[in-house]
Amino acid sequence: MRVRPVRIDQVIPSIVERDAVSHHALEAQRVLHSMGFVSEIYARNMGPGLHGRVHLLADLPRERPEHQWVCYQASIGSPAAEVFASHPGLKLLDYHNISPADLVERWLPHLGEEIRLGRKQLAELAPMVELAFADSEFNRVELEEAGYRETAVAPLMVDTTNFSSPPDKRLLDRLAEARARGGHDWLFVGQMLPHKAHQDVIKALACARELFDPEARLHLVGRESCPAYADALHRFVSALELSGAVDFAGSVSSGELSAYYASADVLVCCSDHEGFCAPLLEAMHHRLPVVAYGVTAVPETVLDAGIVLPAKSPVLVATAVQRVLTDAKLRDELVRAGLGRTQVFSIEAARRGFAESIERVLRAS
Amino acid sequence: MNSEVVAEIEAQVRELRATGRVAVGFEDELDACFEQVAEASLASAGSPAVGDLGSSSPAGLSLTELGRRLSALARRRLGPSLRHLERRTALGAARAGESAWIQVHVAVDRLERVAAGSRVATRAISAVRPRDLAGSGTAAAHPAIAGLFLDWVLERLSEGSEPGRDLPRRVLHAECGDGRIVEMLSARGLDAYGADPRWSVRTRGDGKIVAAGALEYLSAAQSEMFDAVLLTSVVDRLRPGAARALAQLAARSLAPGGVVVLVSARPEAAVAMDPVAADLAPGRPLHPVTWCHLLAHSGLAELAVFEPDASDPDARESEVFAVSARRVSPSLTTAIGARL
Repeated sequence: MRVRPVRIDQVIPSIVERDAVSHHALEAQRVLHSMGFVSEIYARNMGPGLHGRVHLLADLPRERPEHQWVCYQASIGSPAAEVFASHPGLKLLDYHNISPADLVERWLPHLGEEIRLGRKQLAELAPMVELAFADSEFNRVELEEAGYRETAVAPLMVDTTNFSSPPDKRLLDRLAEARARGGHDWLFVGQMLPHKAHQDVIKALACARELFDPEARLHLVGRESCPAYADALHRFVSALELSGAVDFAGSVSSGELSAYYASADVLVCCSDHEGFCAPLLEAMHHRLPVVAYGVTAVPETVLDAGIVLPAKSPVLVATAVQRVLTDAKLRDELVRAGLGRTQVFSIEAARRGFAESIERVLRAS
Repeated sequence: MNSEVVAEIEAQVRELRATGRVAVGFEDELDACFEQVAEASLASAGSPAVGDLGSSSPAGLSLTELGRRLSALARRRLGPSLRHLERRTALGAARAGESAWIQVHVAVDRLERVAAGSRVATRAISAVRPRDLAGSGTAAAHPAIAGLFLDWVLERLSEGSEPGRDLPRRVLHAECGDGRIVEMLSARGLDAYGADPRWSVRTRGDGKIVAAGALEYLSAAQSEMFDAVLLTSVVDRLRPGAARALAQLAARSLAPGGVVVLVSARPEAAVAMDPVAADLAPGRPLHPVTWCHLLAHSGLAELAVFEPDASDPDARESEVFAVSARRVSPSLTTAIGARL
């Protein structure tokens, strides 16, 4: 058994409200407090709403190794990794995946460099880290490949507060009006970043309108984080004459998000890379069937609670969506299985998983 | 259950294709269409600023139209991290904030290049130009760099020099603006050269300052030509994806033992938005650790970062940092040459 430290602090490059990794770090702090540890979060950058709750990285204490452990939330290349590496405390690493540079570099060249740096830092930290935990098995395997000796899966502590927000009434009415004119509503939720491959959902919609559902609509919810990519998507929709059928909703409030989930018929995800993909769970919570391209961590998040496709040709995705929309029995089975998945990934279960990871390190000799 | 359903769906797709319900080439056309618009969007995001104003001459535009076009240019070129500053500049309400003086400079400089040749536009821009930047021509001329940073830079330059040689002989400052730093380096006994592409910079008769961009100048320069390369405002003005090329070209131009020193704005000082969004903002400066990574990848060693105390509210220079790296390996030129 190890000597129990007094404090376990977290180091994170950036922390902000309404961000999955940031929320995970805040939940991890709650778990550590509940386990009796002193625990603070130290960030290089923080959103204005977190001042006072999160400390500047420069203020990270450097106490004796048996007194203080540090846990690094890794998701991108950052100077924060160097601060973590130089800290004398026992080290833990919580890995949320780093998107491959080749998926984003064409659109965000500066981010491509920092992604490469992130991968390099991940490998350099491996020999220093006592236990590295990942929020999916896919991510855990990447940790092993990067040279980490002790690894575990501790699910993402997903922000469920948005799940039960009452739907925005005005938006709900507007969406209902459109539905009254016929056609189904597709939904995709995620930041407008190139690795999310929004264009492939749009292609599938174009195909579905040709083959099955001429009035089908697509709602793209998520911040337009990459202007050039967002511009290309807008141009693409115009070129395909789908301007009336594709709704670029942008960043929305929790009430508006609930309205989108409540009004949609299916969540369609064609992402090329996901370390976990929280919107899949959100859709399941809202009893929305999922059709997803089965790469990276998507198959293990969805499991049997959605149609997981081995490819994403527009015809294949459109046909899968059509099947889900027209096969009531299948739809019911998917919704039921989805509710089961939300229990597996409940915040309580995820908190237990994180606490067990900490206990595992404490038990180790 | 899932695999059975997927197999049925795949069979249906095969049937759709076989019966001709899916026209041959339909999906390829969708792919080609997206590639076409993607290229157009990327070209628009990375195209030269002057081209972004359209085909008509800025001189023929009304002030309102010029302002509208400059704002549109700002949106596309500078991205969300700088948008608020650029908008203020374009609309005539700019007053340089302490936290973003380098970015304001960059914005103004870009607008100047766009508006070159238009008296109306030049007047409009003069009216909004931050007073403390007027005439400087470069962020490098700011007292922060001229004072604290220059000392640090000279210290780096002198380290590792041959015995009996206090400072390196030949130094390049790219991009040097009005050449103030070149003059200061010359006054300290260095054989200093400058290059800058801005419209106001003219090649000097003695060839010490050349009207050329950093990438352009370094691409054309002989290998191992300089004992030191100083990169200041250029690193905040790079076109997307050019940081790696700049690091490699700077490394190639160094003589053995030579150093590259760059000074940049901190990304977090340059943005006025939440940090996660800021990380994604196109056009933002890179982190010091990213520059270290790029310089190391270019074959340089002995990396050092200088970050003034950010907690000191009076330390204006805390908005910027400096990184230095040295060419240690004599075989660097070959290795870098092969990669370029």
